[in-house]
Amino acid sequence: MNGSELVPLRGGWSRPVPLLAALALFAVLPAVLAGFDRGYLYQIANLSLIFVLLSASMHLVTGVAGLLHLGHAAFYGVGAYTAALLSSKLGLGFTATLPLSGLTAALVAFLVALPTMRLVSIYFAVATLAIGQMLYLVMLNWVELTKGPNGIIVTKGLELFGFSLSGRLPTYYTVAVVVALCVVAIGRLSHSYYGNTLRSIREDDQCADAMGVRTVRLKMEAFTLSAFFAGVAGSLWAHMTGYISPGDFKFSESILILAMVVVGGLGSLPGAVIGALLLILLPEGLRGLGDFRNIMVGLVMFLSILLLPKGLFGEVSALDFARRQWGAAWRRTRGGEGIGWR
Amino acid sequence: MTMRLFGLLAAASVGLSGTAFADTVKLGYQLPLTGETAQYGQDFRKAADIALAEFNKSGKPFTVEILFEDSRSDAKEGTTIARKFVDNKEIVGVLGDFTSGVSMAAAQVYKDAGMPQLSQTASHPDYTKISKYQFRNIATQAQEGPYNAKWMLSKGYKNIAIIAEQTDWGQSVGAGFTDTVKAGGGTIVFSEFFNRGLKDYRSLISKIERAKPDAIYTGFFYEDGAQFLKQVQQLGIKTPVYSTSAAYSPKLLELAGDAAEGVHLTSNFLPTDPSADVQHFVTEWKAKSDGAVPGQFPAQAYDAVRIMLAAVEKAYPNPTREKVRDALAETKDFPGVTGKTTFGPDREAQKELVKVEVKGGAFVPVAD
Amino acid sequence: MIDPYYLQQLAIGLSLGMTYALMAIGFTLIFGVLNVVNFAHGEIYTLGAFAGLVLISAAAPPAVAVIFAALAIGALAGFSLERLAFKPFRRFTDEASLKSRAMRESTLLSSLAVSIVVREGLEIGFGSQMQSIPFAYLINTPVRVGPVILVTGDFIIFGVAAAMLVGLQYLLTRTRTGLAIRAVSNNPLGAKYVGIDTDRTIIVTFVVGSMMGAAAGILTGLYYGAVFPAMGFIPGIKAFVAMVMGGLSSIPGAVICALILGIAESMATTFVSSGWSDMVAYGFLIVTLIFFPNGLFGARRERV
Repeated sequence: MNGSELVPLRGGWSRPVPLLAALALFAVLPAVLAGFDRGYLYQIANLSLIFVLLSASMHLVTGVAGLLHLGHAAFYGVGAYTAALLSSKLGLGFTATLPLSGLTAALVAFLVALPTMRLVSIYFAVATLAIGQMLYLVMLNWVELTKGPNGIIVTKGLELFGFSLSGRLPTYYTVAVVVALCVVAIGRLSHSYYGNTLRSIREDDQCADAMGVRTVRLKMEAFTLSAFFAGVAGSLWAHMTGYISPGDFKFSESILILAMVVVGGLGSLPGAVIGALLLILLPEGLRGLGDFRNIMVGLVMFLSILLLPKGLFGEVSALDFARRQWGAAWRRTRGGEGIGWR
Repeated sequence: MTMRLFGLLAAASVGLSGTAFADTVKLGYQLPLTGETAQYGQDFRKAADIALAEFNKSGKPFTVEILFEDSRSDAKEGTTIARKFVDNKEIVGVLGDFTSGVSMAAAQVYKDAGMPQLSQTASHPDYTKISKYQFRNIATQAQEGPYNAKWMLSKGYKNIAIIAEQTDWGQSVGAGFTDTVKAGGGTIVFSEFFNRGLKDYRSLISKIERAKPDAIYTGFFYEDGAQFLKQVQQLGIKTPVYSTSAAYSPKLLELAGDAAEGVHLTSNFLPTDPSADVQHFVTEWKAKSDGAVPGQFPAQAYDAVRIMLAAVEKAYPNPTREKVRDALAETKDFPGVTGKTTFGPDREAQKELVKVEVKGGAFVPVAD
Repeated sequence: MIDPYYLQQLAIGLSLGMTYALMAIGFTLIFGVLNVVNFAHGEIYTLGAFAGLVLISAAAPPAVAVIFAALAIGALAGFSLERLAFKPFRRFTDEASLKSRAMRESTLLSSLAVSIVVREGLEIGFGSQMQSIPFAYLINTPVRVGPVILVTGDFIIFGVAAAMLVGLQYLLTRTRTGLAIRAVSNNPLGAKYVGIDTDRTIIVTFVVGSMMGAAAGILTGLYYGAVFPAMGFIPGIKAFVAMVMGGLSSIPGAVICALILGIAESMATTFVSSGWSDMVAYGFLIVTLIFFPNGLFGARRERV
């Protein structure tokens, strides 16, 4: 490549509108909530954010890399248990447990991926299902370590290097900042040459292999990274709720996260976010229907998939959107067309 | 069907009121109304409705309203509901949840907000230790275990096998029972936990039998209990089975049939008790549920609601969360259908237990 | 001489595996034609059991009539399920959609959404509790075979599973319908080009598979004496695992793997605490897949 054709990157963001909009949302939302004095709304906002992160992390492995993952909640659980155990046994605070939870979940994912990553399609899916169930059984039955069904009370709230962040607004901001950083990282990963390589594996792994892509290694990386973010979400949940038990990380949670990604649009990060918000907010919003609300959730999910099988915000729209917003930042040669971060 | 209509009416009335009566005190009740444990939550709502209707008809200077919220036995939803109840300044006390996991998660919210929480079933050993706001109306295994252990030892059983479900409650069943058996000179020859909802107990039963116990002590709810007892009968095993009050439900007899014959268990609620209070509850319950007899759990919920109502009454006028909590803590010898209830300083209910045996397809109280 | 205890555990494992196999047969058949996991199969199983229960409590007919009612409901449910959750996704026939991952996972999720609606509906209609079945209908009278105790249901379920397997093999290999099913399962587009009515074939497969699922539901309900809305969940997972372990395309393979799972669970109970026994079953699956990445009886590598 001829160096003289390179133009310097212009600050990274070519169109700051969506970024500003997102920032405004993050900043305005708590102000509005503070006006109502409603802890309920904070709770829902935090819960939605955690599930946005879970759904975004699943987007990386299932949407971008195309690995049907049926055990994601277990890595969420590994993260939550790591945080809970580190804080209750070793007295570590949130600042330390947050990265450690992610790393532990990633380590576990790496170890289980070693033997299973060569499996393809549904064989891989059922292997993740089995791994998820096995991790759940460990949380439930290894009473000496995890206290089994008794769960763990996490006495330490959110804090940053010793500063307590346990009020409503600080909690919200902590969760929001952590989730936003993770989502941005996932966005960079999925709209980059790296993400494009993962997409090539999803479309045709044999072809990608033939082109020199190290498919197994890349799949493992995607799987491990996604577990890392799930682990971070677990740590947020453990410190936010103050009590975790194995029931929070059942198979049905994995399916819920999968449903978020698919309803939003497989392969689309904005879709994953929208899907998570929809499936957390909808059951809350439908409380007025009493016992019928879950039927309605099922119906809405069914209709959305039926009418928009590629998702509420499908992959093609998501890629177009990303290109419109950041295309200039990707362009490294004059007049050239960028296809993602390098 | 009637149950559902009633629920809808209750939900509708919740929406409409608020400004209508000046003197309405509100309580929250979080419980699973949908999902796999909905049967318990639905029963609790029915029991609460009975208790509430009685209270509001009894000519008190104020009426009470209960807001029911469905937690699906999911900690996510449980904590969200807890926040919602805490936000509602009119709510002075909360009942529920059903499973300990959700009760524990919600309790973290109530602890910070200073909201009294009274659960009819939460059995986690640490539940009441969370803060001074957590109460429960259930005989804990710390009380029931030793009682049953003494009962079994007095029958001459020395080698005892224990199985219990792998939940926090099941864990406490084993813990409370084992020590007393050992202290009394007995031996625990087998001890294991099974996953709730296991369908086929035959492998487990064969394994228990290999340990040759004199009797089996079990910690399960009626669904698992019925499956277990049926399969014990199928395998032709005659070892006596003892269980806890959690299995005390007419559904156990209905599902297990003659396989339940001879099972010994404890209870603190007998629908056959001739006292007016119990008979009133049983009659009301039957009218609402096609003639079915209430079991242990609905009775506990009925009492929990009435204890809470009594506390609200004591805190009236101008009840606050703090006043309701103090009134709850002072509860002494509350005459309920599950016997007299007194909250100790640890906010645990001290209950009187009755020994029961299944004879001729019915629960019959026995002397020993 | 073998300890009779182990024989008893083996027998229990076999009968447990047999109940999984009952479900796995229909599951594998449906997966075969569409290459999509049918998440709603567990609900078909539950619907079959509830159909039988409603008929029993309404009319108390002979047991055979109960089975037929379950079969009829199963057929109806299978037909509606295909129309509702699977057919609409075949409207996209362009190449991009056919290859699209999103489309595949959408079909999977649409069956999941249907299953949520059905289960919640059953919970509202009947309640979540276990419904009891009159004892006269139950098929769990103990039968002693040498040192081992079985129940009548074990023989009935074995008979039904064997009949299903043989009948299905006959249908698939000896009839024109079966030929069409195999053709569609092998290559839907090719089948269309040679003049096979793929739509009809898929419906037939769903109806047959769902009838088997519903029969499995009512038989298991009568076997354990309990029917409840969430009953299809665990057998559904086990059938899914058995199908994949067996190699997706092979129905006898799925049955054999279902039996292996059952035996692994009951034998594991001997050596580890009962709570851990599922661990052995799942561990078995992982080990199998490491050494046989296409399942034990899978022939072809599936190209995505």
